[in-house]
Amino acid sequence: MKPDRTALGAPSGRVWKKPPFITNPWVRYGLLAITLVYLFWAFSTLPFDWQRISEGLPRAAKIFGGAFPPSFERAGLLWTGFKESFQIAFLATTLGVLLSVPIAVMAARNVAPLPVYLLGRTIIIVSRSFHPVIVAILFVAAVGFGPVAGILTLILYSIGFVAKLLAEEIEEIDWGQVEAMRSVGAGYMKILVYGVFPQIMPRQIGLSMYQLDSNLRASAVVGIVGAGGIGGTLMNAFGRYDYDFAFAILLMIIAIILVSEGLSGWVRKKVW
Amino acid sequence: MLEISNLVKRYGQNEPVLKGLDLRVEGSSVVSIVGASGAGKSTLLRCINRLVEPTSGSIKLNGHELVNLRGSELRHSRRRIGMVFQGFNLIDRLTVMENVLSGRLGYVSFFQALTRRFPQSDIDRAFSLMERVGIAHYADKRADQLSGGERQRVAVVRALMQEPEILLADEPTASLDPKTSQQIMSLLQSLASEMSLPVLINIHNVTQARMYTDRIVGMRHGQMIFDGEPKDFNQDALDAIYGGIESPDDDGSVPEQSAPPAPEATA
Repeated sequence: MKPDRTALGAPSGRVWKKPPFITNPWVRYGLLAITLVYLFWAFSTLPFDWQRISEGLPRAAKIFGGAFPPSFERAGLLWTGFKESFQIAFLATTLGVLLSVPIAVMAARNVAPLPVYLLGRTIIIVSRSFHPVIVAILFVAAVGFGPVAGILTLILYSIGFVAKLLAEEIEEIDWGQVEAMRSVGAGYMKILVYGVFPQIMPRQIGLSMYQLDSNLRASAVVGIVGAGGIGGTLMNAFGRYDYDFAFAILLMIIAIILVSEGLSGWVRKKVW
Repeated sequence: MLEISNLVKRYGQNEPVLKGLDLRVEGSSVVSIVGASGAGKSTLLRCINRLVEPTSGSIKLNGHELVNLRGSELRHSRRRIGMVFQGFNLIDRLTVMENVLSGRLGYVSFFQALTRRFPQSDIDRAFSLMERVGIAHYADKRADQLSGGERQRVAVVRALMQEPEILLADEPTASLDPKTSQQIMSLLQSLASEMSLPVLINIHNVTQARMYTDRIVGMRHGQMIFDGEPKDFNQDALDAIYGGIESPDDDGSVPEQSAPPAPEATA
């Protein structure tokens, strides 16, 4: 390699700086100023009662103190709660994922005609718009306390997540495989089965595993508002100031999440 | 026999990609279509099996009009037109056998397709075609584990599973190294004569077009400007097709010799 010495030798005095992210300096510094002013205003107007906070700290310490050591005395109750949570999560994941597939196909612009696409997107947006706790409150009011409300909640929650990501996956498939299936004379359903589903299959399994994981976690939360499962057990323990038992439940939940996370990671790696 | 007359394809309000094209292919001849990128070669092939909707004109395959077919009629005529693609377009995550059997999708029921319960005659046909091109031992391998040349063989077998009346090949060797691409071209040539199947091949490699095909059709700007036997395809024809454009990827100026083996392109 022979570098051009004349060009390298003489410093030209040219400088280079990374162009700013926002070009207009007024906008750039204006946004910064507005953010700072709002931050100051937000802090100064919210009622922070420092006295109550300082009184609360020892109370928090007492609760945590009462939680140690965690009590596994009522392991039977713990086990029943976990079993119900797992049932809720498993049923909701299975049904939710099964329903997600057709909804994802409806909501993928490259395989669905416009009206169907809009309908599919609407279903996804509606099922995503509320946090599972709010949905659970609605379902508990509608079908009563217990696991059915939890299952219905988590089905909706699964659809919102799995169908959305699956639809995006369908929109990014290699269209050549679909063209090949069209060229052999396959109809719409056969094209889906051969040209589309094999391409999204690893993602589908990964998402299902992730969703089971996520539903286990969420089933503990929706249990708190009365939708069954270990969340209900946790709520009762708190209500009766059994902090040591509550802590045992929390440990149990963490253990479950860790195990399911490891398991889903392993499965996803196998499938790819 | 394939009869194309006055075929026009226009995308939106742009200048037409195909401007009133006429082409007749009879018997089991292997026809290569050459032309620079954007000349309309690919659009022409895709109009035949209607992956692209022609704007106007007529395409007849053995007397059946293909333009304006819809629904199941369209699918039934697509069964009779096999197609091989540049990027192979195999279903990567399915096995070689499933890919080969997918050539029968136009014939079997949805349930059969879903459960992979293809008729015994299809399975027999699949094995004998796979043996013919030398990939039978890969039957249960996933398609994405094969090399480029092997994958294109799978794609050829898939197309032949359709029991096609014509085979379309859209730059079937453009993704392959020189040696493999010669093998695929000679495979297409011999299959055409064994099955007395007309074959249309879009190809950039003029040398291979001369070697492996019976007839060369040259296209430029959506029109046919050369149609004749390889021996008549001389420098003038080449200049007319590619002239004024940058030279084609392959050295078409060496007519009698095939491309020398390139040691660095053995991937």
